[in-house]
Amino acid sequence: MTQTPIIKPVLQMVDISKRFDATQALEGVSLTLYPGEVHALIGENGAGKSTLIKIMTGVHRPDTGEILLDGKPAQVRNSQEAQTLGIAAIYQEPMVYPDLNVAENIFISHADRGPVVRWGKMYEDAREILAKLDVHLDVKMPARGLTLAAQQAVEIAKAISLKVRVLIMDEPTASLSQHEVAQLFKLVRSLCREGVAVLFIGHRLEEVFSIGDRITVLRDGKWISTRTRAEVTRDAVIRDMVGRDVKDFFAKGKGARGELLATVRGLGKTGVFSDVSFDIYRGEVLGFAGLIGSHRTDVALALFGIEPADAGEITFEGKTVKIQSPEDALKLGVAYASEDRRQLGLIMPMSIVSNISLPMLKQYLNPIGLIRSRQEVATAEKFRQRLNIRTPSVHSDVARLSGGNQQKVMLSKWLNAEPKLLILDEPTRGIDVGAKAEVHHMISDLANQGIAVIMISSDLPEVLGMSDRVLVMREGRQMAVLDRADASEESVMAAAMGHAELAQTAEQKAAL
Amino acid sequence: MSANQAAMPAAGESFLSVAWRRLKSWEGLLLVMLLLILVINSTLAPGYLTINNQINLFILSIEKIMIALVMTFLIINGEIDLSAPSIMGLAACVSAFLFSRGTNFATALVIALCVGLACGIFNGFWIARVGLNSLVVTLATQISYRGLARVFVEDKSIGKFPEWFNRLGQQDLIGPFPFALLLFFFLFAVALVILQYSGFGRQVYVIGNSKDVARFSGVKVPRVKFMLYVASGLMAALAGLLLAARFGAVRGDLAAGYELDIITMVLLGGVSIFGGSGTLYGVFLSIMIILNVRNGMGLAGLSGHFQTGVIGVLLIFSVLGPNMINRARAGVSRRRMQAELRKRAT
Repeated sequence: MTQTPIIKPVLQMVDISKRFDATQALEGVSLTLYPGEVHALIGENGAGKSTLIKIMTGVHRPDTGEILLDGKPAQVRNSQEAQTLGIAAIYQEPMVYPDLNVAENIFISHADRGPVVRWGKMYEDAREILAKLDVHLDVKMPARGLTLAAQQAVEIAKAISLKVRVLIMDEPTASLSQHEVAQLFKLVRSLCREGVAVLFIGHRLEEVFSIGDRITVLRDGKWISTRTRAEVTRDAVIRDMVGRDVKDFFAKGKGARGELLATVRGLGKTGVFSDVSFDIYRGEVLGFAGLIGSHRTDVALALFGIEPADAGEITFEGKTVKIQSPEDALKLGVAYASEDRRQLGLIMPMSIVSNISLPMLKQYLNPIGLIRSRQEVATAEKFRQRLNIRTPSVHSDVARLSGGNQQKVMLSKWLNAEPKLLILDEPTRGIDVGAKAEVHHMISDLANQGIAVIMISSDLPEVLGMSDRVLVMREGRQMAVLDRADASEESVMAAAMGHAELAQTAEQKAAL
Repeated sequence: MSANQAAMPAAGESFLSVAWRRLKSWEGLLLVMLLLILVINSTLAPGYLTINNQINLFILSIEKIMIALVMTFLIINGEIDLSAPSIMGLAACVSAFLFSRGTNFATALVIALCVGLACGIFNGFWIARVGLNSLVVTLATQISYRGLARVFVEDKSIGKFPEWFNRLGQQDLIGPFPFALLLFFFLFAVALVILQYSGFGRQVYVIGNSKDVARFSGVKVPRVKFMLYVASGLMAALAGLLLAARFGAVRGDLAAGYELDIITMVLLGGVSIFGGSGTLYGVFLSIMIILNVRNGMGLAGLSGHFQTGVIGVLLIFSVLGPNMINRARAGVSRRRMQAELRKRAT
């Protein structure tokens, strides 16, 4: 590209593809890293960033494609091998051992220092590395007391001690303050001066632009663009991130908005999210958009009483209510279908019948507490027809169904609770296109029946296609509530990334 | 896991299809095993299959079996109660102590039951409300309840219960059936209906499979767990008193070490130690198997230690068995699927 040809790339990923069951995580992605550059990698959730770095570090193996190190094909079968080749990664949450001191953490994975620890030498070496990085830390201090930023410095020192040539930083700034970010960037630059190639993954655009020498955008597992900092503009990057074909999703018809169902004012939970306010009407789909770490799900968990809010006020059908537990929520008519079907949604080794009746079990009991099995089965059969659940029998274990049918069982389970407000968390994640369209149709039907739906989704076209209004969150704060007319991929993404100018109109709207 | 789940009666099925499904499951295997053992034993000793002999077998372990009922609920729920035998000991010691100090005997019995209840509440508080690990909590209370029992009776053996109480443990009540056995069958029927057919039982299974899904579905997880520990404490106290009646005397180490036998009965019955699956039908069959195996080996002149060894082997088998059944099933369905795919491809 714009690099002078004298500098040879250190690492090249050539035409990498990787498939997980039904999802094509990466498709022919190529990426080149030069020594001494910071290469920023950005993309929406699910764009394939994580898969790519996992392939670099030997966690996954590519289906097709090659990894070249210094121009020669290299095998990276596990993280041990990656380390030997000089490829290291640090993550959002630094992985330091809290009970070991700074020097011990720096040299934790050194097998080449002999069977006996030479403490004096180790402290000396540790001091030397930290000095080179211009980091002032007591090498004998236990890691427990360190700030996150300092822990990251330790991780970087660790990488240097391993003679790292390629350092992957996966959203390292996610939990850092602005000041700490500045410090981290200083560190990154001094690494580059040492000739290390840094792959920086982030989703704050400002940061990406300030640190990245080149910026690569991935979308839906494909390479979209690589630009130098000089060539790049914010708008171009945002367009690259979101601009995909928008023909394969269902668009909800504009339904008649019913009466006001609930108002949420200043809802917050200390340290998680704060000051979330919105109204929701019967028959409306309110989309919740935002990137990872936006705490959309935590707002839903507060509304459903799993992790009750500690600030703010909820008015439901005109009455001020406190939702302290899922039982409270169910009594009001609030239901929450989790994104995590396996862990939080369904009991996999139990039957469709038992899963559907679970939240409303009380309704199926006779006066002495025994289950009226005939009614229970009738309910399951009803939903099997209504939602077109494909199964040989309603007595089958849920585990045997396909993802899409499992999703329908989960929806049945919550529809059976006859909710007034139904919160759907990533309702179409991990299901095939056909089932996805069915789920979209159903959400639309539910809204037409007067149910208020909150749909949390990371799938932007889905949010835009289905929602009457879109609430955008970023890092626990509500950035905007956009009307359908104002919501575009660009405006939602801009708000989600904290991009002030574009989000401004949105915030003005929210103030109304 | 689902091998046992399959035995849970699904609503609205015909009796026959339920019976057939059970026969293919772990319970079916246990039934075949039991029949085999009965046949072998009757050839070893003529007159083995008499009602009296079977009753006798039951009576010799009736207290453990009663605890096994509640333990089945607990293990399916994903918890355990190691302190039950200590509660048995404590309840018996309290009653004997009070009676020896001149308390009215009926009052002493009621107080003993209340002690069991309190022990259960104490366990339940730490496990269900505070959320501590049940293995650790009940190991701790196993030691402390036992210690408390020894405080009451010291190193003595307290006997001389009222005549009617001793008879309760020994004499037949209706026909050849002693009181304890009738009580057991009554409790078994109640437990069976609750676990396999009631809403509470369903919740026990759900929690055992996934506490989180249960919570996200509005199930009051702590309440269910708490109630189980209270039931366990009460049942243990009752069993302890029956044991005292049968022995006619109480010592500090009454019922010590029973927990392993009890847990063996439950696990051999096909209840998963990880929770979520198993049935009381299976546990009942496993109890019958253990009793008859021991008795048969006794008839064949094998020592008690050897018998314990065989039970140990059975237990390993019980962990392996359902796994192997599942794997074989998965293999069959995989082959079917591959055949299907090949058919479609051509």
